[in-house]
Amino acid sequence: MATEITATEKPNQNPILWVARPMATAARQFAKSLFRPSTIVYPYERLEDPEFREKVAVASGKPIGLGQVWDNYRGVHALNIATCISCNLCQFSCPDLCIEMVTVPGGDPKHPKKCPEIDYGKCSYCGFCSDACPEGCLTMTTRYELSVTKRSDMVYSPQRLNEVFKTKLPMNPIRLARPANEDSILLDVPLCIGCNACARDCPTQCITMLDIPKPEAKAGEKIPKRIWKEPVVNDSDCVRCGTCISVCPKECLFWGTRK
Amino acid sequence: MSQATLYSVSYDLSNTIASALGSVLPSGARDLITSSGVVTGFAVVIFAVIILAATMLNTILLIWWERKLLGRFMDRRGAMHVGFAGLLQNFADGFKLFRKDTVKPREADPLGFYFGPTAYMITSLAIFGILPISSGWDTGALPLTLLLALAIFAFAPLFIFVSAWSSNNKYSLMGGMRSAAQMIAYEVPLLLAVVSVVIVAGSFDLNTIVYEQQNYWFWGPLILALIVFVAAMLAEMERIPFDLPEAEAELVEGWNTEYGGMFFAFFMFTDYLRALVGSVLVVLLFFGGWTLPSWVPSVATSWPLAGIFWFMVKTYIVFGVFVWIRASLPRVRTDQLLRVGWNRMIPLGLVSVFVAALLVVAKCVWPFGCLPTP
Repeated sequence: MATEITATEKPNQNPILWVARPMATAARQFAKSLFRPSTIVYPYERLEDPEFREKVAVASGKPIGLGQVWDNYRGVHALNIATCISCNLCQFSCPDLCIEMVTVPGGDPKHPKKCPEIDYGKCSYCGFCSDACPEGCLTMTTRYELSVTKRSDMVYSPQRLNEVFKTKLPMNPIRLARPANEDSILLDVPLCIGCNACARDCPTQCITMLDIPKPEAKAGEKIPKRIWKEPVVNDSDCVRCGTCISVCPKECLFWGTRK
Repeated sequence: MSQATLYSVSYDLSNTIASALGSVLPSGARDLITSSGVVTGFAVVIFAVIILAATMLNTILLIWWERKLLGRFMDRRGAMHVGFAGLLQNFADGFKLFRKDTVKPREADPLGFYFGPTAYMITSLAIFGILPISSGWDTGALPLTLLLALAIFAFAPLFIFVSAWSSNNKYSLMGGMRSAAQMIAYEVPLLLAVVSVVIVAGSFDLNTIVYEQQNYWFWGPLILALIVFVAAMLAEMERIPFDLPEAEAELVEGWNTEYGGMFFAFFMFTDYLRALVGSVLVVLLFFGGWTLPSWVPSVATSWPLAGIFWFMVKTYIVFGVFVWIRASLPRVRTDQLLRVGWNRMIPLGLVSVFVAALLVVAKCVWPFGCLPTP
């Protein structure tokens, strides 16, 4: 008669071992973790803290993994208000619409200085804003602690982002080089009235208004009333923020390839 | 000064309080308060309060001890934030449960639903009224302490079944039935192991049983009885690997599924209370109670309350072994549980009774020594 042997009941094995072996394993584990369990007591101990790593990895002989926050980690932003040119590029590039440009003190009264305010409740840490920032003043740091008790605390004002900047944390060093075939600001000459709005609002002052000759009046033709000046864009200084296009009253500026 | 006992301590305390109260009261009230009847009655109340407070404190400490030990077995730290090394964590948990609402199912029987956990806790607390914890630190010379303690201990399945049935929940009922079956099955080997100790010691009085262990502790010659007792105690306490009545994977939470808030706290508290009773009984029956072997220098036992200290140390070590077993072994099946109970534990218990009888006949056994001569 065939006897059925199930996995749990092996008749060849000594039943004493069923109890003794797991208990020996548990005792071994207990002895191993008696003085230092593998748990890292997070708020008090941090993997990236070199002092702690020395203590644990060297003193107790327990390697605890790499424990490093890479320099290109995308954490909380750092904003250097002093170098920010209020170009709005971070806000344009944000796919989550979490950046709002708010006024900070320091600009002239007619054209207030505006810096990004970031809502971390919406932010997806894609890093487009820091890639888009032409001056490198908005970067992402290795700070990863964001827990707050109020939802409104998740919104970081420019001043608060500046505080992060002052902590000198490692910042995301990746800077995209400007593409060679980048579009430029072109001018539709007949529409321009020479109002100076683009040159006034350009954050990098790369637009200069040059005088153009006033044409002679021909018979039956009316000379348009305008200021006889024309914007000239310095492409090497231009950050392609598009502020000039948005402020132009006649919509005579547009993107295009310069011949 | 004679040795301090639990009763003398509470009587002195009562006397002090009565005379302090009497000194500020008018003479008629003073005579009433300081009369011997009132002082004695008050001393009994203080006596009970001391036992209750010590029991509750120890049970909560026991939970902390289990959490810390279990943490180490699992390569982590247990509770560690509230208080020093997490000592106050269980108080915080208790306060949380105390503030929560107890929701009674609509179809549940209110009498059994509320009576079950309450009686479960009260009967388990009552055991501590009769267990001695050091020489003189008990309720007095009851000749049948052990029998009484085990009798009260055996009440539990009734109350578990009452509360499981009144919950009107199939998981509760299944857990309660499992609990009753398991506790009754393991009552027999438990008592057989106790009988072998009683045969050797010749008494049901726990003080006498401890006194009889002055030459050697009983765990050496009665190792079989110890194994049977610990296994049966694990089943009685419903701890892993015998926690079938509250198998979370199968029965939600077993017989206390429907309980929340304070009544759930009663159940959890009483589980650990019974674990404490089990550890105390193991120490008393097999590990010499509050005494230490004769080769230990007298420095260790000469200071006041040394007996209680060593008793506590032993109790916590024994409970640590229970935790070790819990950390190592998986839960058994019902058929395995009952087969181990009836096929292994009862024959082993009978063998250990036989060994105990031989021990009494032989008087002296190498290498342990002799039983004390009466």
